[in-house]
Amino acid sequence: MSSADGDVFPGVPNVGREELDAMVDAETPDPREELAKVDADTDLGIEMAEDAKRVSRGELSADDYWAKHDTAAAAEFGDAYRETPNPAVDAGDQTISTDTAESLQCTVGSINSVAAETARTDDGEGGIGAGDEKWGMVIDLQKCVGCDSCTVACKAENRTPPGVSYNVVMEEEHGEFPNTTRTNVPKPCMQCENPPCVQVCPVSATYKMDDGVVNIDYDRCIGCRYCMIACPYGSRHFDFGESYDDEVDEAGEITSPEYGVDRGKREENKSPIGNVRKCSYCTHRLERGEEPACVETCIGDARNMGDLDDPDSEVAEMADSDRAFQLKEDEGTDPNMYYLK
Amino acid sequence: MATHTPPAGADLGFESDRLRRVWYGFIAVLLAAGAVALYVRLTQGLTSTNLTSIVPWGAWVAFYIYFVGLSAGAFLVSTLDTVFGLPGLDRISRDALFVSLVSMAVALLFIWVDLGRMDRMFFPFIWRQFSSALSWEIHAYVLYMGVIGSSLYFSMRADLARLADHSSGLRERVYTLLTLHRDETTAAAERVDRRWLKRIGIAGIPLSLFFVVGGEGVLFAVASARPYWNSGLFPVIFVVSALLAGTAFMLLLYVLRTRLLDGATIDRDLVDRMGTLLIGLIIADIAITAIELLISVVSFHAEVIETWQVIMFGEMSWSFWWFMIGAAWVFPLVLLTNESWRRQPSVAVVAALSIAMGVVGVRFNLVVPAQILPVLEGLPHGSYFPTAVEWVSSFGIMGVGLLLYTIGAEILPLTPLPEPESDTQ
Repeated sequence: MSSADGDVFPGVPNVGREELDAMVDAETPDPREELAKVDADTDLGIEMAEDAKRVSRGELSADDYWAKHDTAAAAEFGDAYRETPNPAVDAGDQTISTDTAESLQCTVGSINSVAAETARTDDGEGGIGAGDEKWGMVIDLQKCVGCDSCTVACKAENRTPPGVSYNVVMEEEHGEFPNTTRTNVPKPCMQCENPPCVQVCPVSATYKMDDGVVNIDYDRCIGCRYCMIACPYGSRHFDFGESYDDEVDEAGEITSPEYGVDRGKREENKSPIGNVRKCSYCTHRLERGEEPACVETCIGDARNMGDLDDPDSEVAEMADSDRAFQLKEDEGTDPNMYYLK
Repeated sequence: MATHTPPAGADLGFESDRLRRVWYGFIAVLLAAGAVALYVRLTQGLTSTNLTSIVPWGAWVAFYIYFVGLSAGAFLVSTLDTVFGLPGLDRISRDALFVSLVSMAVALLFIWVDLGRMDRMFFPFIWRQFSSALSWEIHAYVLYMGVIGSSLYFSMRADLARLADHSSGLRERVYTLLTLHRDETTAAAERVDRRWLKRIGIAGIPLSLFFVVGGEGVLFAVASARPYWNSGLFPVIFVVSALLAGTAFMLLLYVLRTRLLDGATIDRDLVDRMGTLLIGLIIADIAITAIELLISVVSFHAEVIETWQVIMFGEMSWSFWWFMIGAAWVFPLVLLTNESWRRQPSVAVVAALSIAMGVVGVRFNLVVPAQILPVLEGLPHGSYFPTAVEWVSSFGIMGVGLLLYTIGAEILPLTPLPEPESDTQ
């Protein structure tokens, strides 16, 4: 593909390596200009950055780097410098000697311990699904184009096996040509207020969490599939143990931390194989402040996620509008899943 | 009533050794094939079945409810003697209790292999869900098996004690153990047994009607997502067809056992009475099913009518016409309504066998069709026919049942022993 020898292919830009590098340089911001925007010393910043590049190239050792700059940096940033963990220390693959690491010790511990401390919730009541929100989703059917990217994003996020799809898009054509209309109805789990699946589970493996999401405890589910029979929305799928190993190498190496539980590799005779599975509103993403994968990926912005208990939230307002409806309202399940017609 | 009176303790078992060998050979084939199928099921999981997320319940569930129904049916037949004291039925009531127990074991084996996680079979006793019909059912089964087991004990304790008196070695020890060391064979002791048998039977009737078999119907009927099941008549259909299958099975066993194991003459009056009972039950089954169909048609309940269309004209409609209508209803009715035919043991056996097989079709048609139609417009239709693994493992599990029953029939006094002189004290 190189154009150095003069070969020109139709449709392929005829640019050389120098020209590409020049493009990178042109895009790179001027360091002096950037650092001038902050209070810290510009010269010190530039000097440290140049030395950091040298460390990357192997011209300077990490120990020498810190020996050279630690005092100046501490003087420049004051207490904040000593209270911020240095990523070079105790980070699993520490790149500096123990002596240097000790000289850099941060007053609040290593970056790993700080991260672990931050993730821990203070009250004993915490844990997955214990939030104050009542999660609800609203899908605007006028905006849905039926692209199925929600289904794809869901499969990628939740790493569901063949035959298990937490989200599907139901497509219906009505009328006779040429007067036809097409309706696309994306369908995840409805996270019902009165879930029939919870009612029938003989071991209480599926239950409603405080945040409105219906959980499945894969360590308790016996795989009787009564919940699949009871679900009026066909939202539940049985995990038969199939995998995409034939299509993708090591497809089962990573699984999604559904309901906040990291189960490691997908292995035979290990849950969730032999269990019933369904959409969790991407609880693991909600817990870290992200939207469910389907909502984030929706190209038409048709899907919305939010707190139905907060009357000022967008979803609460949408769910309250005249256009809003729920699927199979007369089932009495009261889904936390609204559609706008 | 017996052509030759065997001394107590002797001659339980087959009349013919050749027949015994053939029979055990047949069971061995079933067990061996079933073991292979079960191995495949254990190693491949439920991918070895044709079950899907659209049709999650199939053959194993159908056989499970079949055998639960058979168990309850047989138990209720036994109460005709033990509770209601209908004459002549003492010849079969103890056998019915044993069938009931074996049948329940078979049913539980079926639902066990059906679980996605067979290793978690005990979880329902650790964690519960008060609102789950299945949770209730599982606990009712335990209670119910206790009822059958203790009924069986009170029913045959005195005969076990007599057998222990007349045998030696291992047999004696087994019989003594089974009497729980209550070995009096006096009339007074037997009266106590009969009193308890009646009391337990009375408790067992509502248990089996409301929970075991009616509850089985409730388990389906509460699934409001499946309109075909979601009807008050559905559990009644379960009860009636359970009684039908149970009575047919007991008639079948009575004739075969009397001929092949007891070597006694068949009581044609009993065959006649059971045949008449079967006619009544078939008519009741037809009536209830017709009412159910009529209600859905006349009330224009679209989803239920569509399910009926699947049953009557779908790809599995042959099971409705040939098994349900043909084998369970029409064919036995033709054979049994003629009194002189009905009194013929061989005709009765054919009719009973036909019903027992036909009700399998009834069970499949209760379970599968409601899952064929999608729960929401736009979702795919289901389709289901069991795989070879599902069929062969099913026959294997039935083989376990046959083995348990045959061993029981060979060593236990499932037909009351003839009254010997020594006991009339």
